[in-house]
Amino acid sequence: MQEVVVLGVGMHRFGKTGDDIVGTKSVKALCHEAVVGALKDAGVAWKQIEAVAAASSRFSGGKGWGLNGNDVVEDLGSTGIPVYNMSAGCAAGGNAFNVGYSMVAGGVYDMMLVVGGEVMPKGMIQTSGVEEATDPEFLRQRCIGMPGPSFWSTLARRRMFEYGTTEEQFSQVAVKARKCSVHNPNARFQKEITVEDVMASPYVSNPLRLFQICPVSNGAAAAIICSAEKAKQFTSKPVTVATSTVATMTFDDALPRALADPIPSTPSLHTEAQNAVKTAFEKSGIGPQDVSFTELQDNTCYYELAFPEEWGLCEAGQSESLLLAGETAPTGRMPINPSGGFVSFGEATTAMGVFQIAELTWQLRGQAGGRQVPDAKVGLAQTLGLGGNATAAILKR
Amino acid sequence: MSEERVPCVEGLFSEEGGAKLHGAKCTSCGTPYFPKPTACHNPDCEESNIEDIDFGGNGVLWSYSVADFPPPPPHIFDKPFAPYAMGVVDMECGLRLIGQMVDKPEDVKVGAKVELVIEPLYHEDDKTFTSWKFKQL
Repeated sequence: MQEVVVLGVGMHRFGKTGDDIVGTKSVKALCHEAVVGALKDAGVAWKQIEAVAAASSRFSGGKGWGLNGNDVVEDLGSTGIPVYNMSAGCAAGGNAFNVGYSMVAGGVYDMMLVVGGEVMPKGMIQTSGVEEATDPEFLRQRCIGMPGPSFWSTLARRRMFEYGTTEEQFSQVAVKARKCSVHNPNARFQKEITVEDVMASPYVSNPLRLFQICPVSNGAAAAIICSAEKAKQFTSKPVTVATSTVATMTFDDALPRALADPIPSTPSLHTEAQNAVKTAFEKSGIGPQDVSFTELQDNTCYYELAFPEEWGLCEAGQSESLLLAGETAPTGRMPINPSGGFVSFGEATTAMGVFQIAELTWQLRGQAGGRQVPDAKVGLAQTLGLGGNATAAILKR
Repeated sequence: MSEERVPCVEGLFSEEGGAKLHGAKCTSCGTPYFPKPTACHNPDCEESNIEDIDFGGNGVLWSYSVADFPPPPPHIFDKPFAPYAMGVVDMECGLRLIGQMVDKPEDVKVGAKVELVIEPLYHEDDKTFTSWKFKQL
């Protein structure tokens, strides 16, 4: 195994179709800016890239077949290099990073591009679109009618029942996130909001309100990774990839994902994320107590409270008090999503795993400006995708 | 003249002689399923033996959410749209099952005892299309 480092990262600011940020830019144009930015940051020429691991989009570009990596290579100049297009729902960016990491770690390539970009359709993400009685998503919509966010609000409601979490506390997470976003030039939303603002936003799916759920966004992120040996030619202070993992859910998972599941023997929710994060801790020898900050997938504020407990970053039922004490802010004891998170960026689904790698890199280099985690040494990233997919990565300096 | 009641999806459930879901159980490891799977999903199960079985009865509400906006197609609903609650219920039969609540969103309580019922979901072509739902006891 070779040691793997992140040499450079780039991002296109996130926005919404038609706004001043992304306008009508194609996913290819968004990826172009992210990739060129990452190459420049790394001090690497396009022709030095030996292979590409790209997140596959269901929604945009990729010739309708999720061939988004091929679009990027054509755009930057067809050099004939291998392209790996990875599909894993919202975890695809993390999956692409893992494939890149594994290839470089295994010595197959020395220098790779990892990229994810997305132009999202308007409104709530539609389900499979298949009208067949054998398709579980079809059955959920026809027999019950479950808007996407209801999955999250079911979990939020359960947390309220178990721990007495209040709607104001979910709102406080959004307030903290947007406070960070003020200092992030790549965030879609960069204005502070108050608990009153959040509580005045309408319910999307009671108990969760509009400002507590991430909207869909357009955006792109890229990372240049290489072997530690190769990196010596470019920098004396690379960010090291301590590990990268991919996992799927296990049979005893307690989430209501389909129409019905066997009542689980354990209360484990999101086993795919737990499997990915715990494996990352095991493989890297880095424990929850060593993590300086975490970038986790906050499709909704609920996750900022639930995930740290599920991974052992804090005790079960402790998240609310840590939040209210300011400990999840960049300057706190357990900083969560100093980038501003999905709640401030919106979700450009398949870009998110790479977006997290970019934020981890900036934080570990001390380049995060007003959202900087003081003396950040170790960063943890995590994604979660449809189908029971999850990824984790630990970066260190 | 009474309207004809039709299941919104054929073969999944029936209401004659009480609300019943047509599911399955692995007789080797006892895992219940709805709908019927092609094989047992339990990785610790020695040999998949899937047999048809009907589920009904009561359960306890694990959690719920509210559809404050209409869900995307292929959901069909009577207009104007009225918000409804969706329950996740731990059934006595061993399933954690999802379904709409008959009770109004503001009346639904986590931990409540509920029963499985077959109720109207939407109306179309002079027919009443039904689905399984939960009713608080």
